[in-house]
Amino acid sequence: MLVENLKILAVVLGTLAVFTLVANSIPQVQSVVPEDLSFGANVSESELTSSGEDLYSGAGGCTACHGLGTVAPNLLTDEGGTGSIGARCANRASGQDCKEYLYASMVEPADYVVEGYGPIMPDMRRSLSNEQIWALVAYLQSVGGEVTVTGADIGTGTDPAPASPAPATAAPAAATTTTASLDPVEIMRANTCFACHVLSGEGAPIGPAFDGMGARVDADYIRRSILDPAAEASEGYEAFAGLMPSIFGGQLTAAQLEIIVQFLASQQ
Amino acid sequence: MSLSRPMARRNRRIFKALGAFGLLALAVHVFPEAAWAQEVASRQYGTFPLVGSRIAIWVTAQVHLLFAAFVLGVPMFAVVAEAIGIFGGDEKYDKLAKEFTRLLLVAYSATAIWGAILSFLLVTLYPGLWLYLTEIFQISMWVYVGLFFFESFTLYLYYYGWDRWSQGRAKLGHWTLGILLNVWGTLVMFIANSWLTYMMSPPADVGPDTSPAMVQFWSAFANATWMPINIHRMIANVVFGGAIVGAYAAYRFLMAETDEERAHYDWMGYVGNLIAIGALIVLPFAGYYLGREIYEFNQQMGITMMGGFMSWLWIIQAFLIGVLFLAGNYYLWVGMGRIPGAERFTPYTKYMLMVLILGVIVWATPHTIIGNREELEAMGGTFHPFLGVLGLMSAKNTAVNIMILTTFLSFLLYRRANSRPTVSWAKTGTIVQGALFVISAIIVVFYGVYGYFVSAIIRIGFSVYQVLAVLFTIFAVVGIDIFMMRGAESRGAIRWGQMPPRSQYALFILAVTFTWLMGLMGFARSGIRQHWHVWEVMRDTSVDAATPALGYAAVVISACVLIFFTLVAFIFWLGGLAEKPVVAKVSPGAPSVTGGPELAPAGGD
Repeated sequence: MLVENLKILAVVLGTLAVFTLVANSIPQVQSVVPEDLSFGANVSESELTSSGEDLYSGAGGCTACHGLGTVAPNLLTDEGGTGSIGARCANRASGQDCKEYLYASMVEPADYVVEGYGPIMPDMRRSLSNEQIWALVAYLQSVGGEVTVTGADIGTGTDPAPASPAPATAAPAAATTTTASLDPVEIMRANTCFACHVLSGEGAPIGPAFDGMGARVDADYIRRSILDPAAEASEGYEAFAGLMPSIFGGQLTAAQLEIIVQFLASQQ
Repeated sequence: MSLSRPMARRNRRIFKALGAFGLLALAVHVFPEAAWAQEVASRQYGTFPLVGSRIAIWVTAQVHLLFAAFVLGVPMFAVVAEAIGIFGGDEKYDKLAKEFTRLLLVAYSATAIWGAILSFLLVTLYPGLWLYLTEIFQISMWVYVGLFFFESFTLYLYYYGWDRWSQGRAKLGHWTLGILLNVWGTLVMFIANSWLTYMMSPPADVGPDTSPAMVQFWSAFANATWMPINIHRMIANVVFGGAIVGAYAAYRFLMAETDEERAHYDWMGYVGNLIAIGALIVLPFAGYYLGREIYEFNQQMGITMMGGFMSWLWIIQAFLIGVLFLAGNYYLWVGMGRIPGAERFTPYTKYMLMVLILGVIVWATPHTIIGNREELEAMGGTFHPFLGVLGLMSAKNTAVNIMILTTFLSFLLYRRANSRPTVSWAKTGTIVQGALFVISAIIVVFYGVYGYFVSAIIRIGFSVYQVLAVLFTIFAVVGIDIFMMRGAESRGAIRWGQMPPRSQYALFILAVTFTWLMGLMGFARSGIRQHWHVWEVMRDTSVDAATPALGYAAVVISACVLIFFTLVAFIFWLGGLAEKPVVAKVSPGAPSVTGGPELAPAGGD
């Protein structure tokens, strides 16, 4: 009986050992956490490209799609005879130079889908900070082209992006709130929303009316419109595109923003 | 009325304790913003000695899930076996169902204990995440506890009432208890699945700034991957339960002291293996559904899973499933040695073995190879210049479908080994069955090759045709076989118990491989969230936020499997102390492989 038990133990341990050995004999790839970056105004090109390369091949997760050549364009190698990304980026979108194109295609990827591929790329601001995105731009420029990203780019208003999302349980970023109220109408009144929007007879009809808003658009759209109003003009209000300030993301607390969004989405 | 002195002392202690509790409650009420309370409330992570929090949670959750899978899978086929016993009038299936349930009973408390440990570790090591999840799911947690209560008592009634409610309507009532046990267990699993799938695929309108109190319960509960995981786990639980029962039977077979015992456990092992491999054949389709839903939810997550840092995981998975197919078929082929008439099929086994090995090789070929710039340039792209062609899904789908067909053919030969059909259309029926195999193989290979000449989106659709061809063949061939074998002559009785010991080791390898595979898939499901507790909503800011590589994961998975089997061996041994199982009396006239030896009570039941 002892011998039989030992044989069984040997089979179990042997099987486990084989599986463990096989799993350790293949290339070991770890998914790392994107490292927080902080660049000064005098950041060097090599600092930027080195950080960008680390992100590209690691925590940025870029190679998951751009390394395949089937679901997204190859960036490090030639793509359809146009060269690597650093060589072709300046010719991708009219009116945009290389770094503008690369930055914009990362933060508004739906507007820059390359022909032959699907719109699968997410807005990289959801997972990367502004510094990280600029480091990636610098690295991609370096692959066959000239790096033009500087510390000035990172600190300028070219960045429409919020910083890397904070942990959900952390306190909201230091917002300059105009009111501490959690009443949706009170919040909107304090933030002068009624200067351009009408709700139950209150306000001026310059922008889309709040009345019946939930029947026209969903909560996602409303949230997007508040945080990034320039991204998309509402139908019938194209002439007023750019009029709405993009300050509310910093002015409202997260709770206030969500209260407004849900309130407007419920206006049928 | 005066109290006795000890009772008075006890009452004073109770009053003192109540007084202390009251003062504490008052303090909390008067000073709600106490510094310690704030510190506790804001603490995101705890620490666990020696191995760290991640390993502690990982191992606990995995061992709990392994036990849970067993106690959810076994009742499914126990209740089916009992039904065969009731409606087929075959008592041996009833005895088998009871023995399944006996294993269940002893494993059930282990499941609960590991579940409690998991809860305590979550509360103490990941309090931030725990608070977040409870804020959203508290109602379902209360329901979970209630259902768990019902499940426990239904199980006790089901097992302990087996002999009392064994006849007539009472037996039907008992069988209904078995069905109820499955219902409670399935609901419990569905609820727990909602918590973990929410972490993978939270609703689109939930972001990092969304307060958990604002998350709508039902949209969080019935999230994108909830139902695919439910279905996948239900089938996988049956596979796992069958494999563990098979290993248990193999152990008892090897330790058996009488021919009766050996015959009984030989048959039980055969049934366990049949359940495991039979359900395994369906599992890839459920996996395909889950994978598709992950892609639908978030392409980036899907691509990370299949083509990103986890791409090599699927090569390991292919290797493991290859082991399962080979061990399962090997067991059947060895088992044919105890079936008179099976020798006429023996020459074909080497060809089936070759097909299976070729299938495993193709399936285990990497699709794309993640490399740095120099490596990619040296290789000329992300595909290997020669083997890259075999790494595409067209080749892999073809390989796995051919492997399934081959395994099904093994089973069919095993099933027909000692039977000689007597129906007039037997020859035609056999030709039709053969033709179905050939046609489905042609369909599978045709779409596999054609897939290379069309775009990816069309190629994905081809896998549906391949799967349908194989499933149709399986159902049609079994249907024909059932009618063709009615009244079939026997070529001789199956010699249950006359199996070489090496066949039983194949059952152990199957059980260990299934268990390891479950651990690996658990790592895949959890790992694709990467450094997020809740995908793109709640970031993991702990020291263990990085997702480890496969080699590290393999060590942890092996440790989990070892802990699980050690405990299983221990509790089965404990169960054996309490009660002797039913054993079989070797019957010289067991008619076919679908039947088993005659059973006789051996006391204790």
